[in-house]
Amino acid sequence: MKQLSIMVDMDRCIGCKTCVVACRNHHNLVNHRSHMPGEIPFYIKVESQAEGTFPHLKEDFWVSPCKHCKTAPCATACESGAIRKDAQTGIVLIDQDKCTGAKKCIEKCPYDVIQFNAEKNYAHKCNMCYDRVIHGQEPVCVEICLTDALSFGEKEILKMQAQAKGKEIIKKMSSQSIIYVKSAP
Amino acid sequence: MYEDGWIPTVCYQCKAECSILAHVQNGIVQEVKGNPRARGKMCVKGMAGITSLYSKERLTHPMKRVGERGEGKFEQISWDEAMEIMETKLRALHEKGEGHKFTYSMFPHSASDPKWRFVNAYGGFISTGLPHCDSGKIMAHLHTFGCFPNHHIAPIYYSVPKDGLMILSGRHPFGCMDDACVAKDILDAKERGAKLIVIDPIFRPEAAKADWWIPIKPGGDASFFLGVCNYLLLNNLYNKEFCDKWVREGDMEKLLDFIVDKTPEKMSSICEVPAADIIKLAKMVAEAPSACIDAFKSIMYGNAMDWGQVWSIFLVITGNLDNPGGQPMPELTPMAPVNPVPTPPDLKELGYHRTGPNREKFDHYNFILEPTWYAAQAIKEGNLKIFFATECNPALSEMGAAAWREAVSMKDDDGNYMLDFFMVSEILPSETMKWADLVLPDQTNYERWELLYMPWWYNYSHGAALCRPVVKPVGEARHTNNVIIELGKHMFPEFFAFKDDVEYYDIELGGVGMSIDKLMENGGMWSPGTAGFYKYKDKKKFDTPSGKIELDWNMYADINQQWPSPELPLEYRKDEEKFPFILVNFRTIFLNNTGAWSHNNAQLRDPVSGLDSNPIMINPVDANKLGISEGDTVFLESATGKVSSIVQLTEKIKPGCIGIIHGFGQTVGQVATLCSSFNDNELIADAGSHLDEQDLRGGEAHVSTRVTIYK
Ligand code: SF4
Ligand code: SF4
Ligand code: SF4
Repeated sequence: MKQLSIMVDMDRCIGCKTCVVACRNHHNLVNHRSHMPGEIPFYIKVESQAEGTFPHLKEDFWVSPCKHCKTAPCATACESGAIRKDAQTGIVLIDQDKCTGAKKCIEKCPYDVIQFNAEKNYAHKCNMCYDRVIHGQEPVCVEICLTDALSFGEKEILKMQAQAKGKEIIKKMSSQSIIYVKSAP
Repeated sequence: MYEDGWIPTVCYQCKAECSILAHVQNGIVQEVKGNPRARGKMCVKGMAGITSLYSKERLTHPMKRVGERGEGKFEQISWDEAMEIMETKLRALHEKGEGHKFTYSMFPHSASDPKWRFVNAYGGFISTGLPHCDSGKIMAHLHTFGCFPNHHIAPIYYSVPKDGLMILSGRHPFGCMDDACVAKDILDAKERGAKLIVIDPIFRPEAAKADWWIPIKPGGDASFFLGVCNYLLLNNLYNKEFCDKWVREGDMEKLLDFIVDKTPEKMSSICEVPAADIIKLAKMVAEAPSACIDAFKSIMYGNAMDWGQVWSIFLVITGNLDNPGGQPMPELTPMAPVNPVPTPPDLKELGYHRTGPNREKFDHYNFILEPTWYAAQAIKEGNLKIFFATECNPALSEMGAAAWREAVSMKDDDGNYMLDFFMVSEILPSETMKWADLVLPDQTNYERWELLYMPWWYNYSHGAALCRPVVKPVGEARHTNNVIIELGKHMFPEFFAFKDDVEYYDIELGGVGMSIDKLMENGGMWSPGTAGFYKYKDKKKFDTPSGKIELDWNMYADINQQWPSPELPLEYRKDEEKFPFILVNFRTIFLNNTGAWSHNNAQLRDPVSGLDSNPIMINPVDANKLGISEGDTVFLESATGKVSSIVQLTEKIKPGCIGIIHGFGQTVGQVATLCSSFNDNELIADAGSHLDEQDLRGGEAHVSTRVTIYK
């Protein structure tokens, strides 16, 4: 299997949203002149969960881009064959030219990460910065993460790195290409 | 002049001014990121700076007021007319011999900021928020260590060793107000075995990452650390060798006399942290190879001078000065002076706080700048006549917002405004603009030059960083530095004999053998590459009058305040029944405090990439007692103000406290006004109207506030 992945270190993510804005800038998702809050597309989002009662509290932060699923429900749902899982990288890509704007993928994505450009009538989402990674660069979010919480590479190698650092893989959160890790409590 | 590519420059979405790279394509800034030659990071505000640069709300032309102040009605004018209006007003006041009644409110980008130079040449003063943000630590630097009165100086987190302690006391460094790399540096230190201890009444991401979170009563940090120091000193766990060698003779004995009754048990009753925890921390400090405390003022405002002094006592008795993992003592980069340098007027003699009927109250005011918190009072008393504001938003940032509005709109018997002239220069619409007579469109950091070399924030070793224009300015926007330099050339040509800002910085850079061209050719920065440790050992002294560390602040002996008070701020100790909650107003990474740019930046107000509301935070224990539920609209009332907003129930706040985010409440601009929000300074009292409660030693205005909450 060929699969490029992003590993999210939950010991480090602080939920600062820097990656959200950097990703938007790089992928030209924001019209700086006219976009208003609440209407700007995004490929990655921050989630968090707090537990406990004062003063015994815990909180985790993490990011959630497209998971580049193994058998991607979005690809299966798309009737015009616009979505494919790239054999070389394992990245799930939407071909804008083939996209008819049917929005079937959006209905079927379990992670709600697909954006829709109503003006130009196409679906779009995180492509793991395909344009960068095929030329040897990391995805933008990985490069600029404020706390170096993200790492990028082959899934099996990332898993080994996590193990070497004594971090556990959070199985219930991790998926095909996005791996969540944390130190054992 | 402009080129495409990744251009090294400097961010100015907040005052940390991180070194960055801007990706320019076809004359447009597309992307930005931290400069790997510097500390390599840029935060969410910085990333969103492109949105400020290209926002359709940018101010693009000079405007003059047409209605009354506060109405916010303007007409577009030419730059020539704007310059003439300013010069006429400034000359008239100067000719009356009242130059000291001119105040410029700004963040000086350096001690030689050209705007500051003009103010000095004119005989006026600058005022910044520093007196009520950093005064405690600035005064501690001056009084105890005799070092350059630094602005906020964070610990050098990349120098913290394994097992070193990083103590955050009411400070949220993940908000990146020092440098965008700070969060990474703290987490890296943790990974190599340093411990993170967070002392804070609210649970923020820093606390979520901490090895130990100590919820404390706001304003309790002075007592908490006095308890720690008491335990260290009385149990012989302090660094005796360091103190014997470096502390002024007699000061340790006086310190012991003062501290002997500040026992952990007694201090515990003030700060509401169990005595066992105070002792536990003291023991950890005694065993650790280093300890540092990152704090701003006292926890969420309050007794900053007391806190600053306790902070310095802690550092001294544990020997954590200028060592890896302790408190750095950075030095000023030796820039060349641009001669002749104008001499500033005497603040103690002519500052607006020293010319009014309250002047004797300020006899012990030692702070280095005019107290911005006294501006409203100075207008009322006729001591502030011309006010310039650049890159600041006093309508939101001044304590006692209502009193500030009243003062700037106040008229004399002849129907003239008491404040004769008010100029605001800004990038995006600001709240303050509504009261301005003249509004000038300023340039963003992507359109202008600036030379940064101050040792404050997290700048220990990059020495100098150059902010350079990477794209053409929007509309007719002009950098205010150049506007002021032009005024200087007209009014004080002897002090403005250089061609422009670039030549000015070029001369300064000669001090380190550099020039603008050399910096531009070499990645936009110059650095000796080291902050240096134990510099006092090389000098064999501290720069205090005695050459030693001075713990006893004897300049306040006649008012019996040479040692810090462990008590909570006065405001927290009164009206407890009427106003049962302590207000905790805190900062987040998504706002440059009250700065006008983050208010009208769509990405920073977007729910996915920013923050779109400032709810009123209350612990469910308190809410249940009051019958308040999540989402209720409530009133929050202090002795001097009242606001209304939506309630958020959260376990992340200490019962007895109400949490709100500082920096909301702007009513100008399409983005800012999308969400309903309020300004915390509506609740905080105006300083001039209750001087008796102020700590007037160093300039700290007490902004500590009690509130009541009801549906
Ligand atoms: S930039 Fe890094 S730390 Fe910040 S939210 Fe994104 S992944 Fe988390
Ligand atoms: S868009 Fe959704 S369904 Fe498709 S690969 Fe990504 S996460 Fe999976
Ligand atoms: S991998 Fe690239 S496209 Fe995907 S979230 Fe990160 S920056 Fe955005």
